[in-house]
Amino acid sequence: MSKPSDFVQGTLDVLLLKMLALEPLHGWAISQRLKAASGNVLQVSEGSLYPALHKLEVTGWITAEWRPTENNRRAKFYSLTRSGRKAMKDQVADWDRLSGAVSLVLGLEEAKG
Amino acid sequence: MKMERWLASLMLRLQSLFRKETVENDFDEELRFHLENQVEQFVAQGMSPRAARKAATKLLAGVDRQKEQLRELWQFRWLENFWRDVSFSVRLLRKSPGFTAVALLTLALGVGANTAVFSLINGLLLRPLPVPHSEQLAVLRIEEGGPQPEYSFCTPFFRGLENRHDVFTDVFAYDPDMLQVQGHSGNENVPGMQVSGQFFSGLQVPPLLGRTLTPEDDRKGGSPAGLAVVISEGFWERWFDRAPDVVGRKLVIANTPFTVVGVMPKRFRGVDPTRSPEIYAPLSADPILDAPRNHIDGGIHSWWLTVMARVKPGISVDGVNAALQAVSGPILHDSTEDGNYIKGEEKAHFHFSAEAGSSGFTYARILFRKPLVAMFAMCGGILLLACLNLTSLLMARGAARERELATRLAMGAGRRRLIHQLLVESLLIATAGTALGLVAAPLVSRSLATMLMSGSGAQGVTLDTSLDVRVFLFAALVTVTATVLIGLVPALQATGGNLNEAIKDGQHANKTHERRRVLPRVLMASEVALALALVAGAGLLVTSLVKLYKSGAGFDPRGVVNIAFAMDKQPLKDDALMQVYQQLGEELSHQPGVKNVSFEFIVPLSHRGWNGRYAAPGGSPKLIWMNSVGPKYFETMRIPLYVGREFGWGDTKASGLKVILNQSAAKQFFPDRDAVGQQILNPGEKTSYEVVAVVGDAKYRDMRSPALAAAYVPIQQDTQEKPSLNAVVRVEGTQTPLAGAVRSIAARLVPSIPAPVMTGMDEVVDGSLGAERMMAVLAIFFAGCALLVTGIGLYGTLSYSTSRRTSEIGIRMALGAQRSRVMGMVFRENVLVAAIGSGAGLAVALLASRALGSFLYETSPRDPWVLVGSVGALTAIASAASLLPALRAARIEPIAAIRCE
Repeated sequence: MSKPSDFVQGTLDVLLLKMLALEPLHGWAISQRLKAASGNVLQVSEGSLYPALHKLEVTGWITAEWRPTENNRRAKFYSLTRSGRKAMKDQVADWDRLSGAVSLVLGLEEAKG
Repeated sequence: MKMERWLASLMLRLQSLFRKETVENDFDEELRFHLENQVEQFVAQGMSPRAARKAATKLLAGVDRQKEQLRELWQFRWLENFWRDVSFSVRLLRKSPGFTAVALLTLALGVGANTAVFSLINGLLLRPLPVPHSEQLAVLRIEEGGPQPEYSFCTPFFRGLENRHDVFTDVFAYDPDMLQVQGHSGNENVPGMQVSGQFFSGLQVPPLLGRTLTPEDDRKGGSPAGLAVVISEGFWERWFDRAPDVVGRKLVIANTPFTVVGVMPKRFRGVDPTRSPEIYAPLSADPILDAPRNHIDGGIHSWWLTVMARVKPGISVDGVNAALQAVSGPILHDSTEDGNYIKGEEKAHFHFSAEAGSSGFTYARILFRKPLVAMFAMCGGILLLACLNLTSLLMARGAARERELATRLAMGAGRRRLIHQLLVESLLIATAGTALGLVAAPLVSRSLATMLMSGSGAQGVTLDTSLDVRVFLFAALVTVTATVLIGLVPALQATGGNLNEAIKDGQHANKTHERRRVLPRVLMASEVALALALVAGAGLLVTSLVKLYKSGAGFDPRGVVNIAFAMDKQPLKDDALMQVYQQLGEELSHQPGVKNVSFEFIVPLSHRGWNGRYAAPGGSPKLIWMNSVGPKYFETMRIPLYVGREFGWGDTKASGLKVILNQSAAKQFFPDRDAVGQQILNPGEKTSYEVVAVVGDAKYRDMRSPALAAAYVPIQQDTQEKPSLNAVVRVEGTQTPLAGAVRSIAARLVPSIPAPVMTGMDEVVDGSLGAERMMAVLAIFFAGCALLVTGIGLYGTLSYSTSRRTSEIGIRMALGAQRSRVMGMVFRENVLVAAIGSGAGLAVALLASRALGSFLYETSPRDPWVLVGSVGALTAIASAASLLPALRAARIEPIAAIRCE
């Protein structure tokens, strides 16, 4: 099984924050949504997902709550805190700047000759 | 915002720390949920349920392994490490019980001594009064050009100040006094306090029952409802059995009925930390309570009050002093018509001033501040010594553990972690040592307080030395300091070396070790120096105390008992009273074991005094100290009678005034003549006395000052109507049966007086030397401990370093070194340390002894015998401590030593 492409350091955090900014989700839902939303390009392994979520929780950017799902099973739902929302905005801006810069560099025409 | 997040995170971590189980269960459940969903997805994709579960489990297999990482994320890493260090250290300490015991005991000693003396200082000097806003309280004083301000006020000064409410909300005065209260079995002496009208409103402590005294009560004859008193909770319990209807009941004090109007709670003890009054009576009742004396009519001749005030919030010390300065002149002028007195005071720049009064006021403070500070310094010395000793021992042990530590460093333990662990070890020692010390401290401080306060000369004086927050804070501070002192240096030293060297070299002694052994030697030398200074100090204090005792009081205190009769409130007076005394003396002299009986007004060395100006005919008046004494007084006290005769019962007022002079007084008045048969005059009272004898000098007020010029008059010619005299009884053998006899004789002859109080003259002498005795006792104890601790330190470090040199010594011996030379080599190590330490210690002792000089009596702070003796004692200890390791080294078998490498 091919390993999902490694996320650039810190990228996973911003993706998770973004997903949770839309609505509170449990771990399983996050992994499915991420896959679907990225057109099956981004896959996060369980071994990265849960530690990342817990780290965000300890940092205080997200909080967790046990709630029943639609089919009445208990699941741990994560949601964004206020400081998490602010952190997400900062990180999205950072990412935009970085990706813009990368695109600029990659868009350079190769010299002919 | 950031703070909030940090706090939330801290909470989460803390929660997880205490609910480790839940966190893990939580995670398990979260993963299980994930697994179920994954299985369902695989099934939906067409896998068989079994295959789907297998695949999903495989996917999640790695996640389980991350639990450890997760746990670390969730918990305080250092806290776990801390616990691990603690349990490791406990195991290590238990493995070397000898070291641990020495460490704990020396530290407990240092901490215990410090805490004990600190709680004395706390009780006497620091503890704030348990009243609201004690920081607003001020003690008022009088400055009149002397080296120290005066704290005693007369009634007119206080009444002048009482209603100055510009800077004060309340101004109040008090006077501690024994009150004679009528009980079921006759009169009893109860410690009380006379307080002015604003005393309770100034202190702001509400009563437990009833009301407090008000300015209404502080009037002649009391308020319209009569004379009132407030009692303490303790007295309510003892006297009224906590009767709920105590308010309104009567107490007969000094034969006068007073009404109890309130009860004060236990924590309220007035404003003098050395006293716990049981009855608070109005100041204006003094003529009744103190009868036949009257301090109020005494005007500017009765200096009996201490004055305090509560300062209005927001007014500075300068503001208070300026206001006091402004009223000083007018109050002085209103107080007396005596123009000469006013002129004299104005010349001396008389004015009132204020000082902080948050911890109340007591004279004991003025007496004992210096000895206490000196003792605190000694305690600090012993604590430092204990720490130095432990540092050296830990360092020596660290050196022995070199290989263990180096191996752990090599295996990747951070230096920081190792230092942590070593510091935890010293923290454990320090904490356990402090705890031990704290257990012992209250006992020690209580007995020290008793010894100290017996010297203050007043009855019913105690000092509350109980542990409070301040003492605990102090102990905690000591612990932390001790931890760092004893732990950091050895930890840095032990972990700072070169790994390779340490592992490779093991036990071999080589150059790097030599270099690293300089620090321990410096430490041990300073320990020796400190010990020497302590021993020398103790030697000086003891020499001085012995000299004080040897100097003698001028009388023989052994076997003499004073029995105090309080005659001032009973009906008989003058000659009738003298007959009672004569009868008392007669009956006492028939008691078994009694050799002589006489009477005296003032017990020598009790800090009480009476003086007057007398002159030889044609000479100028001189101040001499007075006492009135009964027949055969000098025989009873064994004061030599040089010329003349003792007083007799026949020396009455009618037979002409007589006086006996001591040698100093005789020389002062009649330098070139025989004193006996001469007259001395009291110019103030225009009276003349015939000198009937000259007796030996006896100490009057305290042991330290030389005997004062003194004169004795017969008790029958005392100007007081109802003198309260002390019977002086010389007893052979045990004094216990006398106590019962005295009680029954007094009850028969003068039933209305309180039970007479018996005090041994020995106790009086000891009491007058209370501070000196306490210092000497503590100093001896500390010196002994210092010697012991230093001995242990020298022995410990030497035996560690010798054991590390076992193989080297083995090789030396294999190469033919004599056993005696090996012994000498080991022995020399300590000799050097001891010699350098003694040298430094002598220098320190000489410097420090200057500070001790003011406590010494006829002893030079450089007394050569003391200094030589101290060096001798240390040399002896050092030799003893070095002998054992040296002997052990000499007994090393070369083969065994080399093989063990």
